[in-house]
Amino acid sequence: MAQVHLRSVVKKYGGLQVVHAINLDIADGEFVVLVGPSGCGKSTTLRMIAGLEDISGGEVLIGDRVVNDLPPRERNLAMVFQNYALYPHMSVRENLGFSLKIAKRSQSEIDRAVDDAAEILSLTPLLDRKPGQLSGGQRQRVAMGRAIVRHPDVFLFDEPLSNLDAKLRTQMRVEIKKLHQRLKSTIVYVTHDQVEAMTLADRIVIMRDGHIEQIGTPLEVFERPNTTFVATFIGSPPMNMLPARVGGGRVVLTDGTAFDIPPGHKVEEGQDVIFGARADNIMPVGHSLPATEHVAEVKMSVQLTEPLGTETLLFAQLAGQEVQAKMLNPRPVASGEVLTFQINLDKCHLFDAETGASLRV
Amino acid sequence: MVTPSIDLPNGLLMTRLKLPPWLVLLLPAILILMAVVLIPLLLSLYSSFTSYRLTRPDSITNWIGTFNYEKAAKDENFWAAFGRTVLFLTIALNLEMLFGLGLALMVSKVTKGQRLLRTVMMFPMMFSPILVGFQFKFIFNDNVGLVNNALQSLGLSSTAIPWLVDGKLALFSIAFAEIWMSTSVFGILILAGLYAIPQDPLEAAKVDGCTSWQSFRFVTLPFLMPFIYIAMAIRSLDVARAYDMVQIMTNGGPARRTELLWTLIGRTGYVDAKMGYANAMGYISIFLAIFFTVYFFKKLTSARAELGMGG
Amino acid sequence: MTTDRTHRNRKRALRIAHFIGLFIAMSIICIPGLWIVLNSFRPTVEIMAKPPVWIPNELNLDHYRAMFGGNGQGGVPVLTYFRNSMVISVTSTIIALLVGMGGGYAFARYRFKGKAALFVGLMATRAVPGVALSLPLFILFARIGIIDTHFGMILAYVAMNVPFTVWLIDGFFRQVPRELAEAAEIDGCTRWQAFWRVEFPVARAGIASAGIFAFLTSWNEYALASQLTRSVYSKTMPVGLLDFTSEFTLNWGGMCALAVLMIIPALILTFLVQKHLIAGLTFGGVKG
Ligand SMILES: Nc1ncnc2c1ncn2[C@@H]1O[C@H](COP(=O)(O)OP(=O)(O)OP(=O)(O)O)[C@@H](O)[C@H]1O
Ligand SMILES: [Mg+2]
Repeated sequence: MAQVHLRSVVKKYGGLQVVHAINLDIADGEFVVLVGPSGCGKSTTLRMIAGLEDISGGEVLIGDRVVNDLPPRERNLAMVFQNYALYPHMSVRENLGFSLKIAKRSQSEIDRAVDDAAEILSLTPLLDRKPGQLSGGQRQRVAMGRAIVRHPDVFLFDEPLSNLDAKLRTQMRVEIKKLHQRLKSTIVYVTHDQVEAMTLADRIVIMRDGHIEQIGTPLEVFERPNTTFVATFIGSPPMNMLPARVGGGRVVLTDGTAFDIPPGHKVEEGQDVIFGARADNIMPVGHSLPATEHVAEVKMSVQLTEPLGTETLLFAQLAGQEVQAKMLNPRPVASGEVLTFQINLDKCHLFDAETGASLRV
Repeated sequence: MVTPSIDLPNGLLMTRLKLPPWLVLLLPAILILMAVVLIPLLLSLYSSFTSYRLTRPDSITNWIGTFNYEKAAKDENFWAAFGRTVLFLTIALNLEMLFGLGLALMVSKVTKGQRLLRTVMMFPMMFSPILVGFQFKFIFNDNVGLVNNALQSLGLSSTAIPWLVDGKLALFSIAFAEIWMSTSVFGILILAGLYAIPQDPLEAAKVDGCTSWQSFRFVTLPFLMPFIYIAMAIRSLDVARAYDMVQIMTNGGPARRTELLWTLIGRTGYVDAKMGYANAMGYISIFLAIFFTVYFFKKLTSARAELGMGG
Repeated sequence: MTTDRTHRNRKRALRIAHFIGLFIAMSIICIPGLWIVLNSFRPTVEIMAKPPVWIPNELNLDHYRAMFGGNGQGGVPVLTYFRNSMVISVTSTIIALLVGMGGGYAFARYRFKGKAALFVGLMATRAVPGVALSLPLFILFARIGIIDTHFGMILAYVAMNVPFTVWLIDGFFRQVPRELAEAAEIDGCTRWQAFWRVEFPVARAGIASAGIFAFLTSWNEYALASQLTRSVYSKTMPVGLLDFTSEFTLNWGGMCALAVLMIIPALILTFLVQKHLIAGLTFGGVKG
């Protein structure tokens, strides 16, 4: 019973509006990730759900209750902060048991809950240490443990992994995913790392300047971005974006190179558009995936290569712009070498040049 | 921030009066300061327009307009004391800063026993200013004082030097006492600043070929500035502590050669019992103090902003 | 080779200069205080001896004995003064801390209009010179009849200490991450519980040092005390020092003994406070 609903939620700081009437429905047990560039209002949104931030307009519901004015302690949620916010004057054991103690549970019940949580997160040998004596990853686990002892309806995570090194981050990502499968609670997770978003989320919410740009499953937002912003934000390397115009039923780039209209798009003659193609869909002939139905061929000169092992990233020039492409079964490529590339038009996108909105129908 | 709910300590009051929580929290401080500082100051502002004398309480109703201020403006003794106070403070504060800086640098370079040195450095801070006054009155005593005894025993001087009797020497002596008393405030705070300096820029400067003087001048010193301003701000809050000390050492004498604003006010008010006039002069000294305070707080804010620590 | 040697010599010279400089500085800091302590154990004849006696012939407790002795033998009611000082300093410190905790917390945690101005305004009240304040305060206290009482002194010292405790405590609370209280609230605490169970314990050491600082200020204050106290009922030790003076003579030895009595508590407290005090001032001031 812990869906979370945001109904036209607004946040203003004085005259400055930082969250603009956002709507979001999160189902019970769903893992939703909020992503977006720095300062786009992710933390603010999360903190409004937590009750740490006043709501300037609209409604927040947890379960069926409107919780706009409910203090955090009555919302039955747990939050993991970016810098963990462990109580420095308490041992790990006390940190974990604090919320139950406040709730006046019996000591035996607290001990049991703490031991369970410590077991799950392999914190048992550390229980009597103070947070100051723990490593970054251990602190992170204590912060998670503090959240799970409460069996909350909703977990809130605000960039919980951003202070960890790359290896630990991957490891903890897996832990969080396991935890979700085990506890089946609703999770709202904030990050600006799109890899984290893609790997963890049931659904991703992409935010920008206090607005929601798109909501969808990881595959949806990857394959069918609604806007140029989502297209460049999700996926690595970012999608190549080439300005073009529709002419004679084809897409014409600024240097005259022309392709067929990618299938599934509705355009008008003479319309200014942006042609988007991911590196995965631009590959040199002989080093690509089997050709699909709609393929375009272009010649490009390669400026720079980045060997990644199983594939090589190629930086080429097209219509005066840098374009990133991929080469499977790589062979060495000299700088300046001209190759013929196949573009898989089935996976390409057209956006309106003015509004940035997708022209997909 | 969360809307305060009724379970706050002053919840009841707040929900009824709808005072914002920060105001409720600050209210005791504001009320006490109003009662003990603001109201008396208003009273003294009022009495500075009267011919109030301690000995004749009813004279407080005797309104004489700006007479006291005009009198102060024309009073040579007052202006001499005013100028001397500003000069005294300027010299003392700057020397304290320089000595404090030197002291902090020396202590920070010590490898062993730094804790002990740090504690010794704070030694003068424990002394009551009036005790400092007596202490130096004793030390600079021309007959049995430590300084003269030492000079004579070492054969550096055959006569007793009249430290507190000669005008110039007396001013030197009280400045010495003031500096002794307050240098540690600077020393300690600058030392804290030295500890907080990040090492990377210093090392970068070394590699870039800076001499030690240059890396001090261009890396260390700019970083220390906010700390120096904090010390200045703290000091400007209680520069008047020097009053206790000066009053004991010379009480403005000899022949007003060491008269500072505060001693002049004290004597006019309590000895001559001319409260109205004393309060008029007091007001001027208050503005002087507040000016210094606001000035250093401003400096502090801008120094912070320069280091990107603002907020 | 030669340049290396000159550098080595320069280093050595610098080290010696450093040592000498430090030695001189520390001597200047220590000697005046130590001299007071020494003289409190020396008979008056020796203090006043001409030519001076450098190596003490005998050290005794005569001055202390006289001080604690009856009023007749040049004794001073030191114990009463000591008690007055203690009562006034401790009470005013506790109240100043409570008031300062409210104010400091407000400055550290809330945003509101005119915050900076209010802060400087509070600080400016501290800048009012004691002697200028003592005149009107004297009139006012005399009118409402709290002159020469502990209550009056406590009130004055609370007001004197509040700005500074607000500043210090503000600094300490800023060091406590806001998220701690937020985490506590999410863990089920009320605002009030979050403060007392999490924020206060974390900032406790710092608040204690603000308290010690306030105590020292009250303990050592003279300008106000000399006007607002009249008799043994409320005189504090700094005012009591003047009992050793008469029109033309000064009982140096006795005064030194009382001075030692005043310094000892201050000394102990300063040792306790030094680390936190620095941290509080710099965090509050610089990072503020
Ligand atoms: N107390 C405040 N007063 C005024 N503006 C604020 C306040 N807190 C946040 N903001 C502004 O609100 C916007 C959204 O902030 P928020 O913290 O939600 O960003 P974010 O998406 O979490 O960014 P990041 O990824 O950097 O954490 C920012 O532009 C920020 O400057
Ligand atoms: Mg954030």
